[in-house]
Amino acid sequence: MFKKIPIWAILFFSFAFILGCNDNAIPANKVFAVKDLAHKKVGVQIGNTADIYASDFGGDTAKIQVERYSKLTDAIQALSQGKIDAVLCDDQPAKAFLRQNQSLKILDEVFVEETYAGVIAKNNTALLDTVNMALKNLKISGTYDSIFNTYINRSSDFHYTQKVKSENKLILSTNAQFPPYEFHSANGIEGIDIEIARYIADYMNRSLEIQDIEFDAIINSVNSGKADIGLAGFTITEERKKSILFTTPYAESKIVVIVRDNNKISKTESIGELLHKNFIKEARWKFIVEGLGNTLIISFFAAFLGICIGIGVSFVRFAHETMGGMKFLNTICKIYLAIIRGTPVLVQLLIIYYIVFSSVNVNKILVAVIAFGINSGAYVSEILRSGFKAIDPGQIEAGRSLGLRFRHILSHIAFPQAFKTSLPSMTNEFITLIKETSICGYIGITDLTRGGDIIRSLTYEAMLPLLAVAVIYFILVAGLSSCVARLEKRLKKNER
Amino acid sequence: MNAKPNTIIQVQNLSKSFGNLQVLKNISLDVYQGDVIAIIGPSGCGKSTFIRHLNMLEKQDEGKILFNGKDIYEKGLHSRFVRERIGMVFQQFNLFKNLTVLKNIMLAPVTLHKMTKSEAEAKAKELLNKVGLSGYENHYPSQLSGGQQQRIAIARAMAMNPDVLLFDEPTSALDPEMVGEVLKIIKDLANSGMTMLIVTHEMNFAKSVANKVLFFSEGIIKEQGTPQEIFENPKDERLKEFLSVIH
Repeated sequence: MFKKIPIWAILFFSFAFILGCNDNAIPANKVFAVKDLAHKKVGVQIGNTADIYASDFGGDTAKIQVERYSKLTDAIQALSQGKIDAVLCDDQPAKAFLRQNQSLKILDEVFVEETYAGVIAKNNTALLDTVNMALKNLKISGTYDSIFNTYINRSSDFHYTQKVKSENKLILSTNAQFPPYEFHSANGIEGIDIEIARYIADYMNRSLEIQDIEFDAIINSVNSGKADIGLAGFTITEERKKSILFTTPYAESKIVVIVRDNNKISKTESIGELLHKNFIKEARWKFIVEGLGNTLIISFFAAFLGICIGIGVSFVRFAHETMGGMKFLNTICKIYLAIIRGTPVLVQLLIIYYIVFSSVNVNKILVAVIAFGINSGAYVSEILRSGFKAIDPGQIEAGRSLGLRFRHILSHIAFPQAFKTSLPSMTNEFITLIKETSICGYIGITDLTRGGDIIRSLTYEAMLPLLAVAVIYFILVAGLSSCVARLEKRLKKNER
Repeated sequence: MNAKPNTIIQVQNLSKSFGNLQVLKNISLDVYQGDVIAIIGPSGCGKSTFIRHLNMLEKQDEGKILFNGKDIYEKGLHSRFVRERIGMVFQQFNLFKNLTVLKNIMLAPVTLHKMTKSEAEAKAKELLNKVGLSGYENHYPSQLSGGQQQRIAIARAMAMNPDVLLFDEPTSALDPEMVGEVLKIIKDLANSGMTMLIVTHEMNFAKSVANKVLFFSEGIIKEQGTPQEIFENPKDERLKEFLSVIH
């Protein structure tokens, strides 16, 4: 039975692949003007102003059913697959998307017009003044127009490259899923906002560091001091003004409506073409490799930290339960367990990144290791505790009657037995841990999932990147399971 | 401390309650060097609780236990010191399941730095020979019968060279055909001059091995004396009834 698992897995993934290739039955477009949006399912990006406008649209009688996506690419994909009826987004990204996806079109009627500005921490007026001066210079010098000609009008290939190299850094927080303002390319993250940021950094005599995180996390990041400035096509709104400072606007944009084009049926690409587009073109497989590396590093060290914490906590609790007298430590452990097990790991990750380490510039991988390690420790300790409970108290009494101290009993008798009993549940915990690291993207780490997401944002193609990511996770978990199975076998020999 | 020179354990007015139930009521007892004391009585009379106190596995509510003239709960006297000197054998054997027979026996002397590894190993082999289980060094407890496990447990307790050995119903969890092999070992120990307290239901064994028998009932020592006095000429009504049921 065990040997057949890979075969079943291959069958499952192939089935998913066939389903993915099948793009029949996409409903025809029914949105031809802004007023048609009433009662339709409309996709927006979480935190984008389109979200606010869409929610307010139509009063009580003609409401839009707003579907919120964390990435615009996901919304576009949902639209082309017929899951939603329209997407509201800024016109430049919309045009960029449509260059890739021929089966969509932009309505001539504009949904709303708006302006973009950078965001700076609420209390940092000094930085605001400097950035505004830099933006003014940018326009006067004509650099601004050149950048726009490159990205928007496509009439030049001017790129602003940074000149200053300094220890002093200007940290830019952005969400590189918003072409042409910011997006991933073979050369890293590029776009209008990025080049503007380079100019500002030069003006301030600092070198630019880019932090790529979720759009709705940028304002937090800037306010908590994780980044100096946020540029990500931010529209000035009264709501945002309450929590952040806006620079002078540097671009104007319109929110437009993207719908399916009934006249154009998307041409089906062969599997070869799809593979080329998703993995080979511009060496896109590197995103997956980089992500896999980070996933492995984070999982491994978090599991290690989790085991250490878990052993420590379970020792305290076991000692308290058998001997008593560790009331204070035991209470601390109980509080730790209650908090960690009572809150989602994503929330814990964000709290550790944005609150605990808010004022320290700390490596994000380390943050993830700490967050997942602390989280896993709680589960490991409870698993071990149940292992301790399974030991009959007679053995512990026998140890005590021989004069052995508690720590001897623990290390020579109780722990080896508890560890062995807990091994199957522990494996389960580490399998969960590997898969849970897929939320690292929230603090801007390119893990395996995020690596696949970046490819999706470049190719507007869901199936292959997602399947590739799923297969890799599957192989990781299968590898771990078989290693532990071997270990279990060896430990079993010890007894019988 | 006015203990007689050859008194090993003195129990003075020991009382213990579990919740509302008083299990031991004001018990006093002197144990002399070389004593083999059998403790008999109906179940739930406090025999096991009493013997567990001597190994500090229970803490009395009132009274004192003196070991070589010193209060075992006296400050500065580590509980471990008392336990090293007083060995215990349990009803359920309680061998360490993750360790081989040899390591079960060697663990305490080596960990507590009583012996070097090689000394402990030699001692363990000698003890295994004594309990008739040479050749079982590398077996795990789960591979042994109950009688074999109990003999290992005795060897394990002996490895610390204790002054006193306590047995808490050592044969009650055994199949009938294995009782004999364990009793024989205990008898050999008694003949070698070991001081022992044995909680048991084996009356013939108590008769033949003990120099003193205690009859426990309702938390007190109802009657004590030589085996002849207890078994052939019982005075207490409760004891007479108990013996008539047993025989």
